Amino acid sequence: MFSYYGDKTVKLNPMELYNLLPKTNCRLCEPKTCMAFATKLTLGDISPDDCPPLLEAGFEKNLEKLREMVAPMLTAEATGIKLNEDKCTGCNNCVVVCPVDVAAEPPTSEGRAAMSKDTVFRVENGISKIINLEKCRRFPPDRLNCRVCEQYCCTDAIEIW
Amino acid sequence: MEDIVCNGCSLLCDDVSAEVSGNTVKSLGLCKLGHTHLETVITHKAGSNDKNLEKAADLLADAKSLLLYGWTHASNEAIKVGLDLASTLKGHFASSVEMGSMKAMSHSIHSKGLGIDLDYVRNNGDFIIYWGADPSESLHRHPSRFAVLPRGEKIPEGIESRTIGVVDVRSTETMKMANHRLILHPGSDAELLDIIKSELEGKSSIKGTVLGIPGSELVGFVRGFQKSDCIVIFYGSGMINSGNQDANLTGIENLVEILRSTGKEAYALPMFVQPNTMGVINASIKGKHEAKSLQQLISGEFDTVLVVGDDVLANLPGPAVKALSKIKIVYVGSPGGLTDKRAIVSIHTLDTIIAGSGTMKRVDMKDILFKRWSASNDGNTISDVLLKLKELVSKKKT
Repeated sequence: MFSYYGDKTVKLNPMELYNLLPKTNCRLCEPKTCMAFATKLTLGDISPDDCPPLLEAGFEKNLEKLREMVAPMLTAEATGIKLNEDKCTGCNNCVVVCPVDVAAEPPTSEGRAAMSKDTVFRVENGISKIINLEKCRRFPPDRLNCRVCEQYCCTDAIEIW
Repeated sequence: MEDIVCNGCSLLCDDVSAEVSGNTVKSLGLCKLGHTHLETVITHKAGSNDKNLEKAADLLADAKSLLLYGWTHASNEAIKVGLDLASTLKGHFASSVEMGSMKAMSHSIHSKGLGIDLDYVRNNGDFIIYWGADPSESLHRHPSRFAVLPRGEKIPEGIESRTIGVVDVRSTETMKMANHRLILHPGSDAELLDIIKSELEGKSSIKGTVLGIPGSELVGFVRGFQKSDCIVIFYGSGMINSGNQDANLTGIENLVEILRSTGKEAYALPMFVQPNTMGVINASIKGKHEAKSLQQLISGEFDTVLVVGDDVLANLPGPAVKALSKIKIVYVGSPGGLTDKRAIVSIHTLDTIIAGSGTMKRVDMKDILFKRWSASNDGNTISDVLLKLKELVSKKKT
């Protein structure tokens, strides 16, 4: 399991995170087991601070490392979308198929260009830009596995990791 | 940002906006082609042309045999003045629309009433076929704005409510969106059309690989026709360039007729790229002009040519360019390009996207009115220049 953040790829491996946890299966957290906790960390559904034993003395370095590793999940780039502007032709396909864009600016559903500042995608200066990544349905808390923008990007300018 | 109309290609997008500050352009909605076009033409200057107008008028008035050529980048209004000018000077009005493939494509549209409004396609087209056309490379917004992705009255789910087919001799970017991807042997379009027609009429049974296409894929493609209510075929130059253009286009016409005979709606539209190709075709049809200007040009029948809007020296076939290099060229249009450099007299005009006036015919023959905006100034348009030329020439002739 891995995610893409901004201009670099960061692979979040549940096992790697698990190895930094206390591995006590203390059942004090909601996932109950350390492995389940690590998996939720990878998805960004939970914070290292939600692990009570990790907050105890002796785990400071592990806690710091885990916070560092999952920090990108808290940023706007955490949807795993990469838009390669060199490949983009500004065709507006992403604007028209994005369900969030259609809700934010209904005329885009009929093929019209996005003009408002409320959409996820907007074609600016001949190239598509992600202007509101936090509205993407892949972004927490929805975390839907929506890939329509990638699916209909003919030039493969959009990639979802 | 102000609303503008783009003339970067034949889609003439009228849902876009732009802002100009010095030589810097910002745009919303314009594709890369349109934005680059705007960035280029914003730097063009159309200064005072009085001296050149006089000189051009002299050359045109003295011409013994005049050709008026180009026009695909000129507005409908400019084309109309051009036709008047041709009449005044007893010149021959012609354009690249007369060239082989374009002539064949335009003939097909009108000979059997195959065309349809692109907005109708958006609202109703449930089986869209790109045949020898790759809009991802040339008409970037064609799929998103009209034919593939948008929702419409009878297309509530956008692409989910449509079936998309792409037929080409190679794998294309547009195929990524397609349900049916048919890569056929070059030059076998007419044969494939015949097979599809036979299958639709229940006269054949597709088995094995046909023309390089697996039989199962071809059968699925034919079922697409049978299951759909409104079929639109967008055919491009690939269908012409692979050979047998007349047979291919006749095949498309026949397919549309067969589909219509079964009670389905069926249409076929060309995929021209130049912005006002349809304006020229429309004018040519109304004017009943003879389509043999290139042969006349090559055989040396003209001593002067007025080129309007197009860089013909960069685009015409070699023999025609050789012939042009031997005669007097008067150029009216945006600065830059071989024709502008080679011309005895050049009169520079504003590009229509900047001028923001007049109309052009979109690829589906719909008139699109250009919008005036703050980048527009009172510099010369092609229409203005031709009107002045007509006035000057008329004075010289009397």
